[in-house]
Amino acid sequence: MGDHVGTKLDHENHLLLDQPLLRLPFELLRKNFRSAHFEVEKDGTFVKNLLKETASANYSQTPQEDVLKNLDTMIARMRGVKRKLTAFAEEEDRLYHHEEARVKHLAELYSMYSVDDVKYESWSRTRLDRLLVDYLLRHGYNDSARALAEERGIELLVDVDTFEQMSRIRKSLLNGSVTEALAWCAAGDTKKELRKMDSNLEFMLRYQQYIEIVRSKARTKPNEALAHAKKYLFPYRETYPHEFRQACGLLAIPPGDARSVYSELYSQARWEMLADLFTSTHNTLLSLPPVPLLHVALSLGLSALKTPACHSIHPASTAGAPSHSTSMLLAASVCPICSTELNELARNVPYANHSKSHVEPDLLMLPNGRAYGKARLEEYARKAGLLDGQVKDLRTGEIFSMDRLKKVYIS
Amino acid sequence: MAMLQLENDLQKLTQTARLSNAMEDVDQIINLLTMIREKYAAENNPHETNLELTMLQNPIKVRLDELNKKLRSVHKAQNDFSKSLKTAFGKANGTLPTDHDPMESQTALINRAIAMHLLREGEFGVASTFISEAQPQNDSSRESSHSFTQPSPGTMDSETSPRSPTPADTIITDADWSAFQSQTLQSSFASMYSILSHLRSHNLHPAIEWARRNCTELEARGSNLEFELCKLQFVWLFKGPVVNGLPDTPENGVSGALQYARQNFGRFQSRHLREIQQLSCAMVYSPNLGSSPYRSIFDISLAFDEVASSFTREFCSLLGLSAESPLYVAATAGALALPQLVKYTSKMKAKGTEWTTTNELAFETPLPPSMLYHPIFVCPVSKEKTTDANPPMILPCGHVLARESLQRLAKGSRYKCPYCPTEGVIKDAREIIL
Repeated sequence: MGDHVGTKLDHENHLLLDQPLLRLPFELLRKNFRSAHFEVEKDGTFVKNLLKETASANYSQTPQEDVLKNLDTMIARMRGVKRKLTAFAEEEDRLYHHEEARVKHLAELYSMYSVDDVKYESWSRTRLDRLLVDYLLRHGYNDSARALAEERGIELLVDVDTFEQMSRIRKSLLNGSVTEALAWCAAGDTKKELRKMDSNLEFMLRYQQYIEIVRSKARTKPNEALAHAKKYLFPYRETYPHEFRQACGLLAIPPGDARSVYSELYSQARWEMLADLFTSTHNTLLSLPPVPLLHVALSLGLSALKTPACHSIHPASTAGAPSHSTSMLLAASVCPICSTELNELARNVPYANHSKSHVEPDLLMLPNGRAYGKARLEEYARKAGLLDGQVKDLRTGEIFSMDRLKKVYIS
Repeated sequence: MAMLQLENDLQKLTQTARLSNAMEDVDQIINLLTMIREKYAAENNPHETNLELTMLQNPIKVRLDELNKKLRSVHKAQNDFSKSLKTAFGKANGTLPTDHDPMESQTALINRAIAMHLLREGEFGVASTFISEAQPQNDSSRESSHSFTQPSPGTMDSETSPRSPTPADTIITDADWSAFQSQTLQSSFASMYSILSHLRSHNLHPAIEWARRNCTELEARGSNLEFELCKLQFVWLFKGPVVNGLPDTPENGVSGALQYARQNFGRFQSRHLREIQQLSCAMVYSPNLGSSPYRSIFDISLAFDEVASSFTREFCSLLGLSAESPLYVAATAGALALPQLVKYTSKMKAKGTEWTTTNELAFETPLPPSMLYHPIFVCPVSKEKTTDANPPMILPCGHVLARESLQRLAKGSRYKCPYCPTEGVIKDAREIIL
């Protein structure tokens, strides 16, 4: 069934999976720019104001060393700007390299027109490697991800650094520390961006900090908890009324009472919740898809390939049951869904939808009820060195005479 | 061509929009400030320098404005590129379907598939890093809905043993599989790669040896690998030292080939008599093979690549694995099918309904013929795929229907074929195995 639909490459649609690839460096580029702008703005204004102040104040005879000190401060500030700007420029350069490599990689696809193109295979292989590295990074398997990226030379196509930072913060949350996550929220313009997307991450982190203070010091230093609540929780009492009320009540309930409604606030599970909240906030902020793209590609790919035969309980009727004793494998190659790697994984995904039959051309049925394409039967007979006019069942090995075959009409 | 346009746009961006452009202004400001500082420290004329300080305000302000202007232009270029990005993916709009992720709870199985993929790709280093990294956290987050059982002691048998109907047999716990399986798998793939590298350097012996060791299984699969390898070895020797670069001894050249044939072709006589005859006849033509009828047999420009790929296929098949990495095939198939899914989900969203996962995808996902591994029979009457429970039935006239359709069509014990004028009794229809 050589229908043409399946092999032609539809470039635009084929890159659906790859939008995030270009998105991330670009988001980082913007973030980098905003941070740079922020620094320049801040220090520039400072220098401008201090200069004005010094110049006008000088009239009224300020001591010379004060003026010098001010000038030194201004110079130091500007040197600071230079240093920071250099760092931002370097980061920009790095990100440009990433983006360039990625656009080039995606543009390569446009020189291929068919799935059967040899170049497509290597392109698609690189895509799989990218997806794998992404998956590994998202699961915190950083060493493997780094090793694979290096081995395949695709460092510019994957985001090892970004994810390593993320998994470090995630890990620290799982270990019960909010410091790193809070630092992330405060860095550069993240705070502003978080506010723009109505994220509750920072509040939740502060809330957790409060819970920890209450847990350890409610008895000894109740003021500390109160001060923290006043500073970080009180301003949000209207945005998060439920949490705020709970926070107030928490002061009265010490940890350790499993029956109380507050026990879940003291539970370890909150840290996992925070880690997940951080991950999803982080991903949204950088326009990263919420699930590994490998999942998307795999679940759909498994379905598209899966047929009822792949999990059939009669190994004889499957094309490539990985069985030894009856290794009469029909297909030239084992079906990927039948192959050990994916068989179990594919068990719970739906089958592909087919509205047409796909069978070999010129089907002939042997007297034992099995049907094969004419060409294959002939080839197999030749390979097996049979006499003319004889064929051999590719699976059972039975030999029949040609004239006992029956033509099959598949409509 | 959207991507090519994007390539140009990006080039424009990287050439013009650079933060480093603003560096010059920062330097200028620093210079202005240091100059006046030096002056101020050297002379002691407060009034003079005071005036200069006041006058300095303007140039510094100009510089700062210039600095900000440059930053703004970077910002503007970035915004432009953002638009280019949008247009580049414009046609493929529609969001990735990420709400429903059936793979989410399958980390253990996905990890297993990845480890096997890395091994079969020959990335042994990465594989072992991955196995040690993925292993320790098998406590809380692991999915425990299946009851995992350890299969029979860890040899290749567990890989190739007949698939039993009880799924528990093939499921291996996350912790166990890597420990015992990766070792055997790794050593199998290591030997596969070593044989392949010999093949690439035109040394056929290790491959022939392997094929001979596994000849029963190969024959059962209907594979001629062993003979193909031996035949190639014969031709290779036949070509002589000029082509094969082997030492010029009696074991090489035409005499070597003849000797090789005598030693090895005997076992193939029953199956490949014709080809052996051809090969021996070709000897006669050895001085001018090029113009003989046998020249096609001796054209081996592609032969080594061909045997290498068929060797890989057979090797993997004997392990119960497909020749192409299933992960690769599945991911590629997924990418090919994705547009259909996106189209379908956006349509469903517009209608306000949702795709509920049933047994079958709700839309067709056309794949290239090379990705169709099983024959698929869709009953022309019910439009359903046949299954174990509802197998295809062939009528005496040669037309095929699903059993349920046939039963529905029948009146009593008789039916009429929906495709031709024949009638018959149901018991004459028989199951066909496609």
